[in-house]
Amino acid sequence: MKVWKVSTLAVCAALAGSIASAETAIAQKGLEADMVLLPKFLGILPFDQANQGAQEAHEELGNTGDLLYTGPTPENSVAGQIEIMTTSASQKSAAVMLSNNAGEQIVPSAVAAQAAGTKVVTWDSPIPSAKGESLFIAQVDFGEIGVVMADMAHSILDGEGEFATLSATPDASNQNAWIAAMEEALKGPKYAGLKHVDIVYGNDQSEVSYNRALALADKYPNLGLIMSPTSVGIVASAKAIQDEDLCGQIKVSGLGVPAEMVTYTMNGCAPEFALWDFVDLGYLTYYTSYMLATGQIEGEAGETFNAGRMGDYTIEKDPTRDAGLRVLMGPFTVYNKDNVEAAAK
Amino acid sequence: MLSSISKKLGPNGQRVAILLLVLVAIALFFSSQIQNYLTPRLFVRISTSVSIIALISVGQAVVVMTRNIDLSIGSVVGCTAYFLGGILASFPDLAPVFVVLLAMGIGACFGLVNGLLVSRLNLPSIIVTLATLALFRSILVESSDGSSITTGSLPIWLIEFARQNMFVVGGFKVRWMVVIALFVVFSMHFFLTKFRAGRQFYAVGSNPDAAEFSGINLKRTVLQAFLISGALAGLAGFMFLARFGNITVVAGQGLELKSVGAVVVGGVNIFGGSGSIIGVLLGATLIDLIDTSLVRWELVSEFWREAILGLLILFAVAMDTLLARRLLGGRKPNPSDKEPEKTKLASGRVKESST
Repeated sequence: MKVWKVSTLAVCAALAGSIASAETAIAQKGLEADMVLLPKFLGILPFDQANQGAQEAHEELGNTGDLLYTGPTPENSVAGQIEIMTTSASQKSAAVMLSNNAGEQIVPSAVAAQAAGTKVVTWDSPIPSAKGESLFIAQVDFGEIGVVMADMAHSILDGEGEFATLSATPDASNQNAWIAAMEEALKGPKYAGLKHVDIVYGNDQSEVSYNRALALADKYPNLGLIMSPTSVGIVASAKAIQDEDLCGQIKVSGLGVPAEMVTYTMNGCAPEFALWDFVDLGYLTYYTSYMLATGQIEGEAGETFNAGRMGDYTIEKDPTRDAGLRVLMGPFTVYNKDNVEAAAK
Repeated sequence: MLSSISKKLGPNGQRVAILLLVLVAIALFFSSQIQNYLTPRLFVRISTSVSIIALISVGQAVVVMTRNIDLSIGSVVGCTAYFLGGILASFPDLAPVFVVLLAMGIGACFGLVNGLLVSRLNLPSIIVTLATLALFRSILVESSDGSSITTGSLPIWLIEFARQNMFVVGGFKVRWMVVIALFVVFSMHFFLTKFRAGRQFYAVGSNPDAAEFSGINLKRTVLQAFLISGALAGLAGFMFLARFGNITVVAGQGLELKSVGAVVVGGVNIFGGSGSIIGVLLGATLIDLIDTSLVRWELVSEFWREAILGLLILFAVAMDTLLARRLLGGRKPNPSDKEPEKTKLASGRVKESST
C-alpha cells in the first residue's frame, strides 16, 4: 500500500509540473452528438435521478442529437452493459456515459468503442484500470467516502464497538474502493475502538440484503452497527433490524437516498447516513461528455472547463486509482434527524 | 424392521421421514460449526422466510405434478409485490382482506397467461415460462420507470404485518405470516389428496391418456395448475411486499430456482404424477435452512456460498434418493424407475391426440 502511495505522489508531482495554466473552456451549445447514458442497471432511484440531471443538461446545451437512457436489467448487468457498449459504438454514438458494474470485463468493449470514435466517460463507478475510459466523473473523492463512513461509524458507536459492512455486489468497483478506503481510514488512532468484523454482499437485491443483515445480527452478538454503502442495502438493513426489534442494539448507516431513509432516521434505526446529489452527478457527467464528444475539451489532465450551473471543474489525475483521469464533483451531505425530512421531499 | 416401518409409512411417508432426518442432521451439523446456532431466533428466521418460499413451492409442485414447470414464478412474485405496492401507495385505505385477494388476483392473471399458452397452444411449459420469466420482468422494468417502492409509501398495517406474532412461546415467535402459509400448505395438501378436483392433477401427470379416457379435461387441469401457481405466487408477492417493504425491479429474482429445488428435494417427481405437499414444505425448509446457515458459517467465504448451496442441494437429493432405495430395498426395479422414457412416450402421445 505504501509503495502505491509513494508512486501516486510521484506521478502527481510530475503531473503538477507539466500542467500549464490553461484557460477555462466554455461549452458551445447546439452541436450534434448522440449520447448514451448507461447505468449499472435500470430500476433504482439514484440512477433515475442521474438521468434527470443528464436530461436537464441535454436541454440546456441544446444538443440536436439524442440522449438515450438505457441499461441492462439487474440480473443481466455485466453482459448487458458490455452489449450496450458494443451496440452504442457500432451505432456511432458520440459518447457513452457508463456507471461500470462489470469491473475489468467491460474493458475490451470500451477499448473497441474508443477505437470506433465513441468516447467512454464513466460516472458513479469507474473502470478500475481506466483502460478504455476517457474520464471518470467522481461523485466525491473515494478516499473521502471512506473517511466519512469511518466517521459515521465512530459517532454512532460512540467510538467503541463492532460493526460490519453490507455491500452491493462483489464486482462493484465503487463500493469495493470505498470499503478499502474505509479500512485504510480505520487504521487511524481515532478509530482504535472500532472493530470491523465482516463484509457481506446483498447483491443490491432487497431480499438478499435483508437476509444478510439478519445473518450479521445473528452471527455477531455484540454487533453495534451495519454499514451499508449502497442505497438498496442500507434501506433493507434498516427494515430488517426494525422488524426484529433490534434497533436499540444495532444501528444502520451508510449511503442512502433520503426519501427512502427518512422513516428510519426519524425513528432512530439509522441515525446518520450520507449521499451526494445524483441529479448533479448526471448533469456534470453529461456536460463533461458533451464537451469531450464535440471536441471542446481534449480530456487531458489540467484542463479546466465550465459546467453550466455547477461552475468550473478541472480534469486531474485520479489519485484513488493507479491510472486514469477524473473530474471530482463533491461534496456530499451527511443526513440526520435535522435535515433528512427536508431532503426527502 | 426398517422395511415394516417403511411399508406402514408408504412412499410419501418415507420421503417425509427421510427429509425430517436430513433436516435434523443438517441442523445438528451447523450447530457444531456455528456458535449460538440453535436458538429461538433461528426458528423465527427460518419460519418467516420459509413462509414465502413454501407458498411458491407449493404452486410449483402442483404445476410439476401435471408434467409441467413454472419458471416464471420469480417474476410473478416480483411483479405482484411491485404493482401491489404501487396500488397501495395510491389507495392506502384498501381493506387488508381485499389487498390479499387483489394480490392473488394479480398473480393469477400471470398464471392465466402461462396456462393459456401451455394448455391451449400446446407449447412446452419450460419454454413458455422461460420466455414469460424474461417478459414479466421486462414489463416490470419498463413500467416502473426506474423508481422503486419504498416502505414510506405503504400503509402502516402492511409494514407491521411482517413482524406481528400470533403467539410467542419462550422466545419462539410464531408470526402471522407463518400461520397463513402453513394454513395454505395444509389446505392444499388436503385438497390434492382428498378431493376429486385435486386428484386430477396427479392423474394428468401420471398418465395423461388414462386421465383423458376417464373423463378428465387435460387442458383445463393444466390451466388450473398454472392458475393455482400464479395465485400462490401472488400471495407470496403480498408477503414479500410486507416483509421487505422496499421493492426494486429485481424483487423475487431467483425464486424459481429455489422453488424448483424445494419441489425436487421435497420428492415431487419431476416427470409428474407423484409427490406430497408436506414433502415440498420440508424441502423448502431444508433449502432455506442451508441457505441461512451458510451465511453464518465461518469456513465459507461469500464467493463460495452459492456453489456450496448448489452442492448441498445435490447432496441432499442424492442422499435422499439413496436412502429411499435402501428403504425400498429388495424390491424389484419398479416401473417408476423407467419413468423418464415413459414420460416421453406419454407426452408425445398427448401432443398427437390434441393436435
